[in-house]
Amino acid sequence: MSYLTVQNAIKRFGNFAALNDVSIVVEKGEFFTLLGPSGCGKTTLLRSIAGFTDLTSGTITLDNTNLRAVPPHRRDIGMVFQDYAIFPHLSVFDNVAFGLKPRKVPAAEIKTRVMQALAAVRLESMAERLPAAMSGGQQQRIGLARAMVINPRLLLMDEPLSNLDAKLRIELREEIRDIQKQVDIATIYVTHDQEEALAISDRICVMSAGRIEQIGTPQEIYGDPQTRFVAGFVGTLNALEAGSATEGLLTRLGLSSGAGLTWAVRPENIGLAGTGMTGEQLAGTVKKFTYLGREAHLEVETPVGSLVVHVANPSRSEILAPGAATTVVVPRESLMAFDAEGQRTEAEA
Amino acid sequence: MARPNFWTLVSIFTWALLILLLFIPVGSVLFSSLYDRAGNFSLANYATFFSEPRFFTAFVNTLVVGAGGLFGALLLGSIMAFCISRFHIAGGRVVSLLAILALVSPPFIGAYSWIVLFGAGGLVRGMLRDVGVTMPPIYGLSGILIVFSLKFYPYVYLLVLGALANVNRSLEEAAEGLGLTPLQRTLQISFPLVFPALSAGGLLALIHAIADFGTPRLLGRGYSTLATEAYAAYSAEVGSNMSMGTTISVILIAVSMIFVLLQRYMSRRNVYHGNLINKPVKIRLRGWRNVLAHVAVYTISLCGAMPVIVSVIYSFRRTSGPVFQDGFALQSYERIIFNLGDVVRNSLTFSATSVLLIVVVGTLIGTLVARRTTISTSLLDGAFMIPYVMPGIVIGIAYIAAFNTGPIVLTGTASIIVLSIFIRRLPYTVRTTASALRQISPSMEEAAVSLGYSPFRAFLRITVPLIVPGIIAGGMLSFVTAINELSSSLVLYVGSTMTMPVRIYLLILDGDFGVAAALATILLAISGLAVYIAFRFIGRNEQALL
Ligand SMILES: Nc1ncnc2c1ncn2[C@@H]1O[C@H](COP(=O)(O)OP(=O)(O)OP(=O)(O)O)[C@@H](O)[C@H]1O
Ligand SMILES: [Mg+2]
Repeated sequence: MSYLTVQNAIKRFGNFAALNDVSIVVEKGEFFTLLGPSGCGKTTLLRSIAGFTDLTSGTITLDNTNLRAVPPHRRDIGMVFQDYAIFPHLSVFDNVAFGLKPRKVPAAEIKTRVMQALAAVRLESMAERLPAAMSGGQQQRIGLARAMVINPRLLLMDEPLSNLDAKLRIELREEIRDIQKQVDIATIYVTHDQEEALAISDRICVMSAGRIEQIGTPQEIYGDPQTRFVAGFVGTLNALEAGSATEGLLTRLGLSSGAGLTWAVRPENIGLAGTGMTGEQLAGTVKKFTYLGREAHLEVETPVGSLVVHVANPSRSEILAPGAATTVVVPRESLMAFDAEGQRTEAEA
Repeated sequence: MARPNFWTLVSIFTWALLILLLFIPVGSVLFSSLYDRAGNFSLANYATFFSEPRFFTAFVNTLVVGAGGLFGALLLGSIMAFCISRFHIAGGRVVSLLAILALVSPPFIGAYSWIVLFGAGGLVRGMLRDVGVTMPPIYGLSGILIVFSLKFYPYVYLLVLGALANVNRSLEEAAEGLGLTPLQRTLQISFPLVFPALSAGGLLALIHAIADFGTPRLLGRGYSTLATEAYAAYSAEVGSNMSMGTTISVILIAVSMIFVLLQRYMSRRNVYHGNLINKPVKIRLRGWRNVLAHVAVYTISLCGAMPVIVSVIYSFRRTSGPVFQDGFALQSYERIIFNLGDVVRNSLTFSATSVLLIVVVGTLIGTLVARRTTISTSLLDGAFMIPYVMPGIVIGIAYIAAFNTGPIVLTGTASIIVLSIFIRRLPYTVRTTASALRQISPSMEEAAVSLGYSPFRAFLRITVPLIVPGIIAGGMLSFVTAINELSSSLVLYVGSTMTMPVRIYLLILDGDFGVAAALATILLAISGLAVYIAFRFIGRNEQALL
């Protein structure tokens, strides 16, 4: 039986639908990520589950109880906020202990549980400090400990790392992932950073304009996107220009150029001639060459349009100046077709 | 759902309060000015106002003292702010203290102290005459403008100081790099950045100058303004002319309102956010420039605080009746203890009561305004601008007009004084509470709710502790304003509800400066204590005094 279910959730602000028929299922212990561009309704969905926003219609159940009938402070859901929301007038210890007070936990137990939670986020030495002067990373660790210590039934995090610098973001997301696995708590995590989502999730739900585009494991989302939007939002995408050159390429690859289809290909799935890749060849000229150490990114002008090509482990001698002639190899299985609605279709000849 | 209901009640209560304490009185003023004695609609009062030379003169004079106070305060305040923020000035804290003294100095004492020093028989003037320097006595327009400039410069000084401290130095450095001279730099870079503060401070000086009527009355020697005319029309022993008083009040409100809107319009685009990363550094001046800066700063701040210093000294002088003798004694204080205990008690109870009301009601309304953004709350926010620009004398006249007859009769009671203070200071608390609440992220309370606290308990446990220091400090500062409030109480008092500022005014008119000075010193001590307590709660923050 599934743990958390949201069914046919609709949320309107006036005439505007922030959530438009959204359904998700999250299992016990699962790390579930909502991914999507700004304004797509991630926060609205999360806040509906927490109880701070009430749905216009739809059902939410947690462990088979109707969550919408429970007021937010009785839902027993831990929440981590983008702006940390650490209480500035309370010490680190009191911040973390705050949620244990209404639960009538005995004082001695409060102490051990708070210290355990602080140890988990590596802040046990700072228990007596006031949080005001602490760094963003430290404050967010307090936020995490505070949400975890009450043993909530569900943990919600709304872009908890977006105010931190890049290096800390990577460090802390690993920590969050480790702690979540250790405690084994169902977690819904909101982000608009695709790399972050791919790195920490069990499953990802990609949203756009109040709708769900696709739900799947990181591998499915990245490797097998079901809509044009997902393919473009997660990773980079080369769209092939409609025209006779593209049709010719498709015919040579044995693919049908069905009416209304658009074709796209990921930069790392195509390559340059001579790098061991097999497929149809396209002559082109280099427009731009960016050397990144482990990779090189090229922009090549070809008959089917401008294509970005990622080359792994470029050799040092292989630098191509803009204007140089080159050949792009397009393997048959690299091509993705989308219909007029943006849905992925298999278009065999 | 108990919470929405509660806030709906607060909203209804607030509107009722505003209607009763603001709209009805202001309406009565307007009404009274638009009807003749027989009760017929007429513009006769306005016709009289604009045709009688006496009123027209007062109107022009009001604009003159307003402009003069504005420019004097801008000049002195900018010099002070510029020197303090950019140069090392020895004893900078003393300078701030002197500015606070000027700001909280009891009304009228200022004008009178200047008379003591530079009046017809003035001390300093006499000394100068002995060494052969003659100067005219300080009466008339020039005296009023000197007093206004020195009394109101702290508004400009404190606001501009805050703004200058936040001007990013990189901007000035960039301008220097572009080859601008220091003067060009100041005019083209720094000036636009501090303009909002400058104009806000100037506006405060202007509004206070227009509303002040004690200074022109004591120093003016016949120089009348709208405020003095309104009071004269109201208080004339024979044939008190209420409808002329209210007509002048309406014009006074209109004038203040126009300046407020003008200032808003002028600084509408100029909202700069301070950047604290690259703060300006203070330069250590050398030689004559250093001397000049110190002389300027200390002359202005000492002159501003002069009335206070004079009052404190004179309160300890030996007297015989109202006449000063050589030497020092506590006679003036003794006379207060024996004769004026009830005046001190009145002042304390009235101020404490109104501040208590202000804090409780202001916090509730402030929370409403900050948390429930609806059309009605934005209207509310706007309505609270009105008492802010109403001169005290107008509030007093409006309360008489509204509560003298009719269903609610309050004239002659303590309540009417308490309520007039309450409505004048309420907007301040509403605004500070609302802005304090807006600075607390809503996720703070939500975090508490997600941890198991009901919304109401979350508000009590998280939000209240965070805003309480500000509320207490605000209450203390309201207390300072309340206990120093003179012009509305002067209209509203009767024998049994006399307050300290009213008594001081009457004593000065009677020529009993010793007791007036002693009362003023007591008032100052109480105000100083309140400011001290406020600063203990919110840290040293002179701008909160404005
Ligand atoms: N209280 C509200 N009233 C009106 N519109 C709202 C309200 N809250 C959210 N919206 C709208 O709903 C849409 C979804 O908002 P939401 O905050 O869920 O987006 P998001 O996916 O979390 O975006 P971001 O990545 O920027 O946080 C937005 O277009 C927003 O403007
Ligand atoms: Mg969001």
